[in-house]
Amino acid sequence: MTTIGERASDMIEARVTEPAAAKRATGPSRSSALLGLAERYALVAFLGVLLIVFAVLPATSETFLTAANLRNVAANESVIAVAALAAMVPLLAGQFDVSIGAVLGMAQIAVASAMAHGVPLTGAIAIALACALVVGAVNGWLVAYLGVNSFIITLATATLVGGLVSLYTHDQVILQGVSQHLVDFGSGNLLGVPRVTWLVALVALLVAYGLGWTLQGRRLVSVGSNARAARLVGMPVNRIMLASFVVAALLAGIAGVLQVARTGTGNPQIGNAYTLAALSAAFLGASTIRPGRFNVPGTIIGVAFVAFSVNGLTLAGAADWVDPVFTGTALGVAVALSTVLGRRRGAQRVI
Amino acid sequence: MSTALPGRVLAVEGLSKTFPGTRALVDVSLHVRRGEVHALLGGNGSGKSTLIKVLAGVHRGDPGGTIDVAGETVASDAVTPAWASRAGLRFVHQDLGLFDALSVAENVFAGRPYPRRRGRIDWRRTRRQAAEVLGRLETDVAPERPLAGLRPAERTLVAIARALHCGEGEERSVLVLDEPTAPLPGHEVDVLLEAVRRLADAGEAIVYVSHRLDEVLSVSDRVTVLRDGHRVAERPVAGLDEATLVGDIVGASLDRVYPEMPPPRLGEPVLSVRGLRGGPVRDVSFDLAPGEVLGIGGLVGSGRTTLLELLFGARPRDGGEVRVEGRAATLGSPRDGMRAGLAYVPEDRARDSAFLDLGIPENMSAADPARYWRGGRFRHRREREDARADAEALDIRAPSLAAPLLQLSGGNQQKVVLDRWLRRRTRVLLLDEPTQGVDIASRAEIYQQVRRAVADGAAAILVSSDFEELAHVSDRVLVLAGGRVVAEREGDVTRDWVTRQAYEGQGDRR
Repeated sequence: MTTIGERASDMIEARVTEPAAAKRATGPSRSSALLGLAERYALVAFLGVLLIVFAVLPATSETFLTAANLRNVAANESVIAVAALAAMVPLLAGQFDVSIGAVLGMAQIAVASAMAHGVPLTGAIAIALACALVVGAVNGWLVAYLGVNSFIITLATATLVGGLVSLYTHDQVILQGVSQHLVDFGSGNLLGVPRVTWLVALVALLVAYGLGWTLQGRRLVSVGSNARAARLVGMPVNRIMLASFVVAALLAGIAGVLQVARTGTGNPQIGNAYTLAALSAAFLGASTIRPGRFNVPGTIIGVAFVAFSVNGLTLAGAADWVDPVFTGTALGVAVALSTVLGRRRGAQRVI
Repeated sequence: MSTALPGRVLAVEGLSKTFPGTRALVDVSLHVRRGEVHALLGGNGSGKSTLIKVLAGVHRGDPGGTIDVAGETVASDAVTPAWASRAGLRFVHQDLGLFDALSVAENVFAGRPYPRRRGRIDWRRTRRQAAEVLGRLETDVAPERPLAGLRPAERTLVAIARALHCGEGEERSVLVLDEPTAPLPGHEVDVLLEAVRRLADAGEAIVYVSHRLDEVLSVSDRVTVLRDGHRVAERPVAGLDEATLVGDIVGASLDRVYPEMPPPRLGEPVLSVRGLRGGPVRDVSFDLAPGEVLGIGGLVGSGRTTLLELLFGARPRDGGEVRVEGRAATLGSPRDGMRAGLAYVPEDRARDSAFLDLGIPENMSAADPARYWRGGRFRHRREREDARADAEALDIRAPSLAAPLLQLSGGNQQKVVLDRWLRRRTRVLLLDEPTQGVDIASRAEIYQQVRRAVADGAAAILVSSDFEELAHVSDRVLVLAGGRVVAEREGDVTRDWVTRQAYEGQGDRR
């Protein structure tokens, strides 16, 4: 018995603890490790190249790498960053939430309108998040307990919420009553970095912690990997799936409040456009850091990648069409790549 | 040579098939006449499916034999799917290969050219032709109905209609039905059998593969029995009884000596099941003693898998009582089952148990990730260390600990899945075909681990289609048929005994 055990442990030593030996035995060479590294940091490297190019390009070199411009980009992208983190959570569970933008828009109107009616800031934020929570709970319940296709049902709730916002606001921008504290928060800096960027960092850390360092996060990833198997090891699959939509809606709600902080208004026209931007960033993120899987640092890098490329192109005076063409191409390439890589790793396709 | 006999439409002569290490078929012959239902019988591993696969051109037979369909003779090592199709061999497999989202008519025409008019599909003619083929089966299923709404027997009829339709206009087709009634509930079986009988009476030649002896006796004209790759009997069905058939299948003379019930073991049963019902499981009762490995044998559709699902809480039960160590267990969900001390290793790893894109640590801790959730953070390092220790103990080979499970061999995957339950305080281990797709070495390791797991007073239930394995690994074997326990034996269990009980027990299925 002991000899078998020893022999086994020897083999494991060789296989598990010494990658070099394992490689020799199973075939893949050093080049595949390099390839893995390249995969992992391709987007990061690309982002670096982009920053360098815009820093030296005559048309942008004066403005691009200035503190003011970097602050500007960081602050402007805070809304998309939080929305992208929101989109990522259901994606990890294998579900689409295309109501992120609509919920963001709704939260924005809710917080602005509540303040316009004299509700204090904290109360207004609570109302906005409560509204978001309701939509998230409805989405999650329909997907988890009724088994409705998440893409379609969140498309429906997005449309419905957009309509209700239009009904409530008569399509008028809410200009009055936004708390000065909120606006100050949206435009001020702390230690030279926009306050909203600190908030994004905090949210990103919390989401990363929630997904990577909690029991619920592990369960979420397991459900996304194989929901049937998750059920058969006793995980509360429906509850986890529902929770993923609630968390997504809450984050979208926070993004909506951030939007009001940035603009000082509640604009009923804002909303759905954020859905695509958020999903794009999440998918870009799945192509980096942990390729083939949605992850927080990747998502943030995805947001930064799009933001800086668009910013640089704008500063360079590129025509309007350049930005969407560039972003679309980057997303297409990145997603195709991460799908192929994910499949090689045994991930199920998202749809 | 075989064409000389009038009415004979399929003649297999001297067919052998050798796989590395085994002779699956040895000098087998099969003669099917026009207008007859010819049953093909044999236990697991008898060579039945190999024969079908050679006919279909999936496997290539050894040289030396011949296969003749309506006068067209071909050497046994020259059958191709194209030849089989041209010669008029039509197969309806157990997996019917139908399209739920399409209509009945579309299913009948699937893979065949639709009738056209001026370049476009002529839907009216499509439906009419589909209705004609269905009419031959005397079923009133409307061609425009969506397939999804059909009863199980009707679905099988549609699959048969499609097979017939392929051979339309050919007088020489032979229809091979592979276990067509296996997925059908009892009352649906008659519908199908009648249709099969009518087809034969109308002149169709039918090879009917089945485990169900009562069906075979009621529907077929003649029967060929295979055992260990040999044709051991060809008999007319008239005057035949089940006992003779079982004798042919098992190979020994029939002795109906039921063993005494085994002496009760010491100690309270770990698991006690009384009158359990749900799905195909009709009424199952048994006790499981501490340290015991109970094997469950039975044919496809006997309720083996369902029994495990019911015990684990993965499927709602219709009635009955389950006690684990004396305490009644509510089994409304897998969580309930786990709480009661049950563990379940399902048959289909990729679908039901493996997280293929996650690593070994995640897969091993899947049944109890909470143990690493301490003080507000997930203890990844401890999880990895435990996984490494278990991987050593179970001799799991992997490119790395973090490698996605997909990259492991079937045997190593199964050991990882098993480990997640061995870690818990499991009282009853439910194993469904645990060694399917698993190499010999891992197989031995898995059974060693199961033995070790039950050594401390737990117990295990093992479902396996490999009756040889069942006989060797289990302390006691129950045989299920038609959702009931039809036989039980402790010690001295053989493959033949299990096979015989499984066949004999299904007599009162309907």
